[in-house]
Amino acid sequence: MTHPILPAPFADLAPLAAHWARPSENERSEIRWSASPAEFKALYEAMMPRLDDILRLLSDHPASGMPEEVHDLFLLACAFAEASPHHELYGGSSAVPYSFDARRFVRTDGDAAL
Amino acid sequence: MMTTGITAEDLAHISRSSEDIRAELGVDPVSVRAISDPAIYELEREKIFRKTWLKVATSWELPNVGDYKVKELPVADASVLIVRGKDGQIRAFHNVCTHRGNKVVPTTGFETFGRSRANVVTCRFHGWVFSTDGPLRSVPMKEKFGKLDTACLGLREIHCDIWEGFVFINFDAEPAQSLTEYLGDFGKLFGGYPYAESTTAFRYSTVLNCNWKVAHYAFSEGYHVPTIHAGSLPGFKGVDHTDFKLMGPHASSTIYGAGMDTAPSTLAFASMLSTTERHRPRPDQLPPAINPERRADFQFELPNLFPNFIIHLASGCGYPGMSFFTHQFWPLDHGRTLWEGINYFRPAQTAAEQVAQQHVNALHRNAWLEDTATMEDTFTGIMSGSIDEMQLMDQEFLIRHAARTLDTFLAA
Repeated sequence: MTHPILPAPFADLAPLAAHWARPSENERSEIRWSASPAEFKALYEAMMPRLDDILRLLSDHPASGMPEEVHDLFLLACAFAEASPHHELYGGSSAVPYSFDARRFVRTDGDAAL
Repeated sequence: MMTTGITAEDLAHISRSSEDIRAELGVDPVSVRAISDPAIYELEREKIFRKTWLKVATSWELPNVGDYKVKELPVADASVLIVRGKDGQIRAFHNVCTHRGNKVVPTTGFETFGRSRANVVTCRFHGWVFSTDGPLRSVPMKEKFGKLDTACLGLREIHCDIWEGFVFINFDAEPAQSLTEYLGDFGKLFGGYPYAESTTAFRYSTVLNCNWKVAHYAFSEGYHVPTIHAGSLPGFKGVDHTDFKLMGPHASSTIYGAGMDTAPSTLAFASMLSTTERHRPRPDQLPPAINPERRADFQFELPNLFPNFIIHLASGCGYPGMSFFTHQFWPLDHGRTLWEGINYFRPAQTAAEQVAQQHVNALHRNAWLEDTATMEDTFTGIMSGSIDEMQLMDQEFLIRHAARTLDTFLAA
């Protein structure tokens, strides 16, 4: 996304949000599939120390109908939620090691935008 | 919560030890011919998929009057319309216009969802209109037909019944058993859990170039977990696959496990879910004969609802916050299978819970990517003709039992 809006305490995460935050799983997957180990590491090192704070803020907002200024942080958190295993478990690989081609897995519920 | 009144003692007769399983099902290798022989697939279509009860939907997918789902089932050469009628009842019909055979509801892909606000579906070919409960309601230029018995030209109904919110159909004109009879002790073992509360679904599908049973069998045992899932379950502390149960054509078992070395992000997301009433582990909601001792290391139940459906009931005890997950394996032809995997959660109340569910879903989806990686290779290996048999250990008894059940149906 071009100009993400993040709550003030997390304003410095805007460049990461611009790169990673997308409303649908398919869009986030496309970004993840082309990410390098260094990109996974940078995302992880920026997000993991603040994950509890981010989740605390997101706990104050409903799953649907959250205000706009929270939504981009929410989408960045979703991207992190899906990307963290690649840094923690898969050695920075964009694919799950020894796995089926993830591009052949289809989200069959229309992959509604969050 | 428990509404069935079934106790663990009532189902004592389905329980089997490993020794019982060896004595009852044998220990010999099992032929792979049912997988490799295309002629057997043709028999399966006729004697299994056109005769047994098949899960095709859930009631909570179709919450409102007029909601419908069309499911393409090449195994039965059928397009099936499952629809909630004006009276609130869910019915199943062939998605075929009784005029000349066109599809009434146009479809995209294997599943198509929609809603008929006027409680009718209209064939786009010539405009024949059917009520969502079946009858033919109107025909354009009806007076121009020399003969037309509209009372007999409703949508062709397929036997349909619901168990615990899971919608099943049976293509047989006169099914030998009702759904309740067919499920038998399986219905009692799994009954009573509030499945319908878990309306948040993450659904995946893929077309695998393998026979449907290769895919089914790969998801039917815990023996593979420490090896195939070494990537997504690092520091895995072992699995106890036990509590074997046999129930006519169906079977079940339980996965207990000491868990794994949880990664830091997973720990944060998991605690987000485990500290809320809606998403915390709920061993108390498990039906009494599943994890009867209420062991704290219960992960999920691993059954086979013959022929092609698996409900992994977890009640939040295995993957954090996950209520249950299902697999289904639909043959497209002898060597092609549509796999459908669905993770079910109770709806997230907050944005944080929703993020945490995305994480758990991603971990599980990734484990499925590891599972599915073996299937096409296995089928290719079997089709090479280089092995005639599968060697099966105790924890692969669901495969042994399903293979035997298959033979019984094919011989009938």
